[in-house]
Amino acid sequence: VALSKVCNIYRKVLVVGAGGIGCELLKNLVLTGFKNIEVIDLDTIDVSNLNRQFLFQKKHVGKSKAQVAKESVLQFCPTVNITAYHDSIMNPDYNVEFFRNFMLVMNALDNRAARNHVNRMCLAADIPLIESGTAGYLGQVTVIKKGLTECYECQPKPTQKTFPGCTIRNTPSEPIHCIVWAKYLFNQLFGEEDADQEVSPDTADPEAACEQQRLEIHEHHTAARATASENDGDIKRVSTKDWARSTGYDAVKLFHKLFKDDIMYLLTMDKLWKTRKAPTPLVWQQLEDSASPQELSAGSGLKDQQVLGVWGLCQLFQHSVETLRSQLQEMGEGAELVWDKDDPPAMDFVTAAANLRMHIFSMNTKSRFDVKSMAGNIIPAIATTNAVIAGLIVLEGLKILSGELESCRTIFLNKCPNLRKKLLVPCILDPPIANCYVCASKPEVMVKLNVHKTTVLSLQDRILKERFGMVAPDVQIEDGKGTILISSEEGETETNNSKFLADFGIRNGSRLQVDDFLQDYTLLVNVLHTEELERDVEFEVVGEAPDKAPSPQTTPEEVNSVTNGNKDSAQPSTSSKAEDDDIMIVDSEEENEGASSSTAAATSGTKRKHSDAETGETSTKRPRTDQSSAAAAPTDDDDDDDIITLD
Amino acid sequence: MAATKASKEQKYDRQLRLWGDHGQESLESAHVCLINATATGTEILKNLVLPGIGAFTIVDGHTVSGEDVGNNFFLSNNSIGKNRAQAATELLQELNSDVSGNFVEESPNKLLDNNPEFFNRFTIVIGVQLPESTCLRLDSVLWSASVPFLVCKSYGLIGYMRLVVQEHSVIESHPDNALEDLRLNQPFAELKNHIQSYDLDSMDKKDHSHTPWIIIVAKHLERWLSEHNLQPPKNYKEKEAFRQFIREGIRKKENGVPEDEENFEEAIKNVNTALNPTKIPSTVEDLFNSEECNDVTSQTPSFWVMLRAVKEFALNEGNGSLPVRGTIPDMIADSQKFINLQNVYREKAMQDAAAVSKHVECLLQSIGKVGYSTYIANRRCRCLGKNSSFLRVVRCRSLAEEYSVDTVNKDEITSSMDNPDSEMVFYLMLRSVDRFYQQHSRYPGVYNYQVEDDISKLKLCVNSLLQEYSLNVNIKDDYIHEFCRYGAAEPHTVAAFLGGSAAQEAIKIISHQFVPFNNTFIYNAMSQTSATLQL
Repeated sequence: VALSKVCNIYRKVLVVGAGGIGCELLKNLVLTGFKNIEVIDLDTIDVSNLNRQFLFQKKHVGKSKAQVAKESVLQFCPTVNITAYHDSIMNPDYNVEFFRNFMLVMNALDNRAARNHVNRMCLAADIPLIESGTAGYLGQVTVIKKGLTECYECQPKPTQKTFPGCTIRNTPSEPIHCIVWAKYLFNQLFGEEDADQEVSPDTADPEAACEQQRLEIHEHHTAARATASENDGDIKRVSTKDWARSTGYDAVKLFHKLFKDDIMYLLTMDKLWKTRKAPTPLVWQQLEDSASPQELSAGSGLKDQQVLGVWGLCQLFQHSVETLRSQLQEMGEGAELVWDKDDPPAMDFVTAAANLRMHIFSMNTKSRFDVKSMAGNIIPAIATTNAVIAGLIVLEGLKILSGELESCRTIFLNKCPNLRKKLLVPCILDPPIANCYVCASKPEVMVKLNVHKTTVLSLQDRILKERFGMVAPDVQIEDGKGTILISSEEGETETNNSKFLADFGIRNGSRLQVDDFLQDYTLLVNVLHTEELERDVEFEVVGEAPDKAPSPQTTPEEVNSVTNGNKDSAQPSTSSKAEDDDIMIVDSEEENEGASSSTAAATSGTKRKHSDAETGETSTKRPRTDQSSAAAAPTDDDDDDDIITLD
Repeated sequence: MAATKASKEQKYDRQLRLWGDHGQESLESAHVCLINATATGTEILKNLVLPGIGAFTIVDGHTVSGEDVGNNFFLSNNSIGKNRAQAATELLQELNSDVSGNFVEESPNKLLDNNPEFFNRFTIVIGVQLPESTCLRLDSVLWSASVPFLVCKSYGLIGYMRLVVQEHSVIESHPDNALEDLRLNQPFAELKNHIQSYDLDSMDKKDHSHTPWIIIVAKHLERWLSEHNLQPPKNYKEKEAFRQFIREGIRKKENGVPEDEENFEEAIKNVNTALNPTKIPSTVEDLFNSEECNDVTSQTPSFWVMLRAVKEFALNEGNGSLPVRGTIPDMIADSQKFINLQNVYREKAMQDAAAVSKHVECLLQSIGKVGYSTYIANRRCRCLGKNSSFLRVVRCRSLAEEYSVDTVNKDEITSSMDNPDSEMVFYLMLRSVDRFYQQHSRYPGVYNYQVEDDISKLKLCVNSLLQEYSLNVNIKDDYIHEFCRYGAAEPHTVAAFLGGSAAQEAIKIISHQFVPFNNTFIYNAMSQTSATLQL
């Protein structure tokens, strides 16, 4: 009551994201008396949003989230001013000046790229930011203010998991590898072709070469690289799509190329199968003949949760290919489909293709429901958690606006009360990390790479954009001449793209000054040249724990993974670029019932959690989620459930 | 039907991943009663309508005021003057066409006077912003009808929830770190036979490195037992020795270097899990020993009949163990070997579930209940079998017990109040403002001019409360001032928070999944802290 007097609720606030948290947040802001609100979201409404995003109804499916959210709120509260943008917050129009219009920015995002970006924009504009995220029953809210608190990027986040090309193309060992392969395949056949998403056997796999050849490959790697894009070890010179089109998308022919011929070819690379179990090619006719009748009869439970037999998968493959083919035809010449987990034929296709490949490589097949979790990086989401979190955000917001930043907290929401009977765990805000590569006064990083193998393009895309979250970097070499390596102006430095860093005199100890003018952010990159990076690793940031295999006994640090928000790895709905999002793993814990269903997700969860634990600093001060529900597990004997010290 | 099922699957996809299709089914057959469509009330109901409860009924005798519209998203200016139950039902109904919305334009007190059985029909009753007297009346009616009752209140910057349920059974408690149920220390016959079918020594290299770790451990355990007087490795040292023993089983290359056999590594890593002795958890043992389980009559609720059947199973077919869970973790193995092993466990689990459901049948017959759908029984027995180590029963005290001078939980109150700023102080303050309401028919400090006078009046209430219960605790004046300043306001953000938390608890109750809180929850919005108290 009194709070509304203390702070000026007539000044503008910005809500970034109009999804699960965003809808609740808009309602709370309006009913708390905020009068001027702007909301931005790139996404459109999907049916699966309706179980929690209460401002949307069935009739709104396909429309802009921001726009419909605005209209729905206005129906209830016609007196407020709401401006809606159906756009990406990473669009350069939303520059530092734009951010300075607000007294407070609240993130209700679902991916890390956008979170990093808004973090930087708010630092640059010196506007307080409230960051939040939920995953299933877990949630978190925190406050970020330049110079006073940690910024979103002060604590290293677990690196997003990617898979080496050879693993995907030649030697998958986990279901996720097959799922990624199937999604690539979808794009190769029906969508936008991408050279990084090859699906056919990779003959250049160093592991497949014998010792002598391997030596040669090392010696000639530079030379080989130049021509790599031309032959890249593919069997056919025709693109997969052209070939598929020439067969009229004949499902059986596709099946035989993918699941018989390509596999037979892989078998000829016998080095690969010395220690691995070799794949078994599939033959359509044989499967059809040996299909047992009960394979087609439905089991109990939802259709989605059944695990199909091989012949069932073949039929699903055939059926989905036919559906997708006619979709493509209807759209006319040159059309491309975009993979979407919520589009039934696209999801069917990936389910079928991934499972067939899993079968070939002796993995346990998965239900459509589980494949969807992994392929779509689905984080379970419910109305109740979002409601709680949005309530907390506004209360933190009110504190900020009444100038009580010191009483703001990072708040973790547990699944159930912990051993100290706390459902909410508030923690004091930490001061900025002095050497944070984002909010330090002169940010600096050290990157290990091979200057003879790293191209300017991969410096730009993989390192600066993907790893360091920049949108449009400019790079200048500190060589005394100020050589411009990359310019964000179109047409100025594109010719450099395919050249190697060494070509510009960059060597061990070189320093690169990287600027992102939109984010008002300058980063000094120190280059450490090395010849010893693991297979398929392009670079390593020094001081950052590399991904290792998970150890068996890792305590779940669910709360930590929430820090990175919920759909982190999924399509960044509020950012324009969706680069590698698809090859990452779900980072939530799944609670679902389907027998062995969640095991894969759970394992991958462990990986991420583990890498969190490895960073040490993070885990000591984040509270550990109480693993035993208040009374459940007697196995948990310690009571240091919230290790935060409020000193 | 199929079409609607598919579209529901799509709409509810993200939550099916949390509570499964059977959880959703129980949600869809639930009928929830909300008393008072205030901001807190409609926020709770919104969070139940969105995930798709079957039906709701709002009971509310108030008409919509301007103040209501100010903090309640589901009331609009043109509903002012209308009945609040009706106005809120109309807007909440819009959220989900699969939910049937009903309203009763009467106060709960009137309903209790004229038709107290009215409330017996609901799966759960949620009472919001109710005065103490009405709460106690509902408490007594619902307690004897065994209908769960969730009391919620937003009072200034304090949120309060109280769960009243005589007995609530949780079949799927979803423990976070459940141990696998592998029975390696006492393998059942089928598992023994299956283990026998493997001969690690005569396998070719590929098969050897694709044998599931469960088999590897079982094989090595067999040999270990025969060499160690049938004693399994118990302490750290013995387990280390056992790990080494497994490590020696890894094949060697011609030059003596061990092969890279990941399945063996996995076996070594899992020694602890694998050697975990099969036993009935003490929580379940306690349930077995309770009166309800041993004394099954025609009045016994089905949960207890099933539990008794599980006990019978353990005493007979199970040889002292619970039904086999029937799931095994993912592991390195080729598909065929994995599936074969999985089937051994799965089939045993089905067998055990069938045995349990036989016991259910017998029990039902013995108490003269026949015709109970065996289909349902089988399905539920399977679910029960899978979760039998995690069964839980939550018993809350009634409000009457909490409020009675004879049965008040003085210990919990006084020990919490050792810290004068514990959340317990808010509980005592809430009780005091209730007392104020009883005496003055209004809450303190509703209008600014009253605040000064009301502080001393509220102080009297606090003291009389403490005196009545002979509580030797000290409540700081600051809290009395603050509660007067709150003026019984119901700020939207607090309502939103409570709306999320209360709905979540209601879903736990409805789905019998996850363990609900017991029995009081306090939320402090100023410090963003919370606590659960047992009162």
